[in-house]
Amino acid sequence: MAQAAAPALTQNILREGLILSRTPDPAVMVIFGASGDLTARKLMPALYNLALNRYLPSGFSVIGVADTALSEEEFRSNMADAVRRFSRTQPVDRAVWQSVAEGLSYVRMSFDDPEAYGRLAAELERLDRERGTNGNRVFYFATAPRFFPVIVERLGASGIARTGGGWKRVVIEKPFGHDLKTAKELNQTIHSVFAEPQVYRIDHYLGKETVQNVLVFRFANGIFEPIWNRRYVDHIQITVAEDIGIERRGKYYETSGALRDIFQNHLLQLLSIAAMEPPPNFDADTVRDEKLKVLKSIHPVDVDNDVVRGQYGPGWVGGQEVPGYRQEANVSPNSTTETYVAVRLKVDNWRWADTPFYLRTGKRLPSRASEIAIQFKSAPHQPFAKTAIQGMTPNVLVMRIQPHEGASLKIAAKIPGPVMRLRTVNMDFFYGSSFLVESPDAYERLVLDCMLGDPTLFAREDEVERAWGLADTIENGWAAQPAPDFPNYPAGTWGPEAADALIERDGRRWRRP
Amino acid sequence: MSSNHTELTVQTFVDVHAIQEELEQVRWGLHSDGELSEAAQHAANEARASVLNLIAVVGNEAEKDSVIQVLDRLSVTNPSRTLILLAQHTKDADKLEAQVSAQDRTESGHRVTTERVILHAHGEPARHLASLVTPLLISDIPVVLWWPGGPQFDHPLFDDLCQLADRLVVDTDQGFDQADLRRLLEVARREQARASIGDLNWARLIAWRHVAAQCFDIPGVLDDLAGTHGVSIYHGSDGSTAQASLLGGWIRSRMATVGIEVPLEFRADDTFEHGICRFVIYTSGDDGPGRFSFNRLRGGRLTVEIRLGDQELARRTVRLEARPPEELLGIELTLPGHDTLFEEALAAALR
Repeated sequence: MAQAAAPALTQNILREGLILSRTPDPAVMVIFGASGDLTARKLMPALYNLALNRYLPSGFSVIGVADTALSEEEFRSNMADAVRRFSRTQPVDRAVWQSVAEGLSYVRMSFDDPEAYGRLAAELERLDRERGTNGNRVFYFATAPRFFPVIVERLGASGIARTGGGWKRVVIEKPFGHDLKTAKELNQTIHSVFAEPQVYRIDHYLGKETVQNVLVFRFANGIFEPIWNRRYVDHIQITVAEDIGIERRGKYYETSGALRDIFQNHLLQLLSIAAMEPPPNFDADTVRDEKLKVLKSIHPVDVDNDVVRGQYGPGWVGGQEVPGYRQEANVSPNSTTETYVAVRLKVDNWRWADTPFYLRTGKRLPSRASEIAIQFKSAPHQPFAKTAIQGMTPNVLVMRIQPHEGASLKIAAKIPGPVMRLRTVNMDFFYGSSFLVESPDAYERLVLDCMLGDPTLFAREDEVERAWGLADTIENGWAAQPAPDFPNYPAGTWGPEAADALIERDGRRWRRP
Repeated sequence: MSSNHTELTVQTFVDVHAIQEELEQVRWGLHSDGELSEAAQHAANEARASVLNLIAVVGNEAEKDSVIQVLDRLSVTNPSRTLILLAQHTKDADKLEAQVSAQDRTESGHRVTTERVILHAHGEPARHLASLVTPLLISDIPVVLWWPGGPQFDHPLFDDLCQLADRLVVDTDQGFDQADLRRLLEVARREQARASIGDLNWARLIAWRHVAAQCFDIPGVLDDLAGTHGVSIYHGSDGSTAQASLLGGWIRSRMATVGIEVPLEFRADDTFEHGICRFVIYTSGDDGPGRFSFNRLRGGRLTVEIRLGDQELARRTVRLEARPPEELLGIELTLPGHDTLFEEALAAALR
């Protein structure tokens, strides 16, 4: 065969056009905390489903790291059980699972033992050699936050964070710090070993299909953006409501509360996405720059007037009697931890000046619902008789994140008949009814994005710190107030009366999601 | 994933207005007297969603039945109005039958109702089926023409339907020879061609292309790709070569973008009766001659061996299971516009 001249290639030309199956480079994922709940419930099922959909590269490997006495066989068996129990797709495909299981290994070690990192390094080298993973690593911190600093330091000191060629990325679960000070300290510790582009801070809400769909809804449709501003929007309500209590997380929740658990991350991320300007492109930093601008534009919060906190007492949810927060396991009987928070925010920019954003989250509310509701202003003039428009309410566009993902638009329509009478009707778009295929779990999307080196859906250092700054303002304001009179709402209701008063002062009402 | 599928209504018509009326009724759920139809009761409170008009042209009853099964499964991801055309160009008496039905499907608690029209024409009406199809399409959504068997390129119906379609999907694995491939390329490259071309056989090659591309992601190996000087492709013994041609055309067209002409060699192999059995990319680089071998194994697996000079750089086995037709079709339905990569591969295969 003819010998061709060999021009230098700067990119793999065979890759072009292979957009349908995004396959990352062969890599090793090192999961710290591999014997824990997150690995079993989320990570391993996510990896299995990625493999099932052919998104994992050949040679992909996982090293489970934990201080639990397990043989490699036991670890594999536990992971197989986890996938059987928690995978969104059933039944488990044996051949696919086998291909994942072949790449699983386990290293038992204490996270602070410097010598153990030598064993981990040896295992990584073996996988590079035998499975062609080329030094590419994802270090996934699925541990309690107190271990984050020591793992980072040991990864740096042992050289694992740098050696072997290839790329190195670190995934960190929330909570990322406890307040602004600890978040900054953690950022500093991480940056002593990993540069910011290597750091992937997970807020799993951003991995949800419907949250990403908010961006598509806003920026891929020409009809919404022109009315997405103070001229047409009366106000925006963002709700993350949970009907469950704190389950077995009393110890954690006592130090967290709704403000740190949901407001600082999920609610502020949803606010950023709903309020951001259209980015010129979908590059990670461009999108995150726009989100950060929103956080920076938030008017200083007047904690006494713009924030309401609450804690649930005993009550009934879904036909079942449930205890109050103070009666939950590992919770102080005099706890003043908030399980509900409602905040009125204003975004000081041209688009949103004087348009309030009402954010609320709570536990033991009547139903589970996460949504962004855009409440439009009334039509400027109604030509119809008063009797015709009785009970009419302005248009509302609701983007539902969970459950029943989709969107609905409330509009006015004539009731059929000889008399002109109007009624509001909901035009519903159920995400599932256009695309019956099941949405991937948020972790699947986020794990894949991390392996592909796309941090768009992860929180950046400055976003996290800005969000903590807002949470700290509220926390400090509460510290200056008298101790709250908790509990102040029964389980199974929509929060304290003060939260209703917060929005009713402005002549508005909370939606029933 | 729980799944449930119900046929809601089936009625037979011969008049286009009657078909349209019934379609409106099954779509919006109202009988002409204003009462809720059975479909409406099933679809109560559900938004109607359609992403496509999908026209499938079949050659006989058996093919029609298998197409219906594929389309039913496809509705999971592509709720569409489907029109299935069975045109029998015989000298029988002119005859036209239309069957309208709605399908109700539930997956994981979500319900979708889609409509299907089966048009069965004999004689002269078979030549003019496109005139019946046009008024039955939902406006403002794309029209995809799927021709599961080999299209009759020379029949007027082919041109008429291509005029309506935004995309023509064929399967070159259905007996396409070099002349058919050439005709397909002509259709794709017609001046002001409205319909882009999709090929299920091309979609089948995605896994092969991925595995081949991955080899050159290995650090230091990209230079060897630039030294590609030959490709051998071994195809099954049954004589069908379209898939092998497309794979060869793909590599050749990709390499041509950087000015490298790659000779292709095709050989029959009796490891498998049908499809690609294996292929080898020959390169030269700093480490000496390179050999990238891809061998299909039984049980839906593929081994990859990379040898550079005297050294074996990597040996891996990966999955290569056959994708079902609805999945292949689903891939082709999501591609927007002309698939230039496919067209270039097809052109290179025919050089």
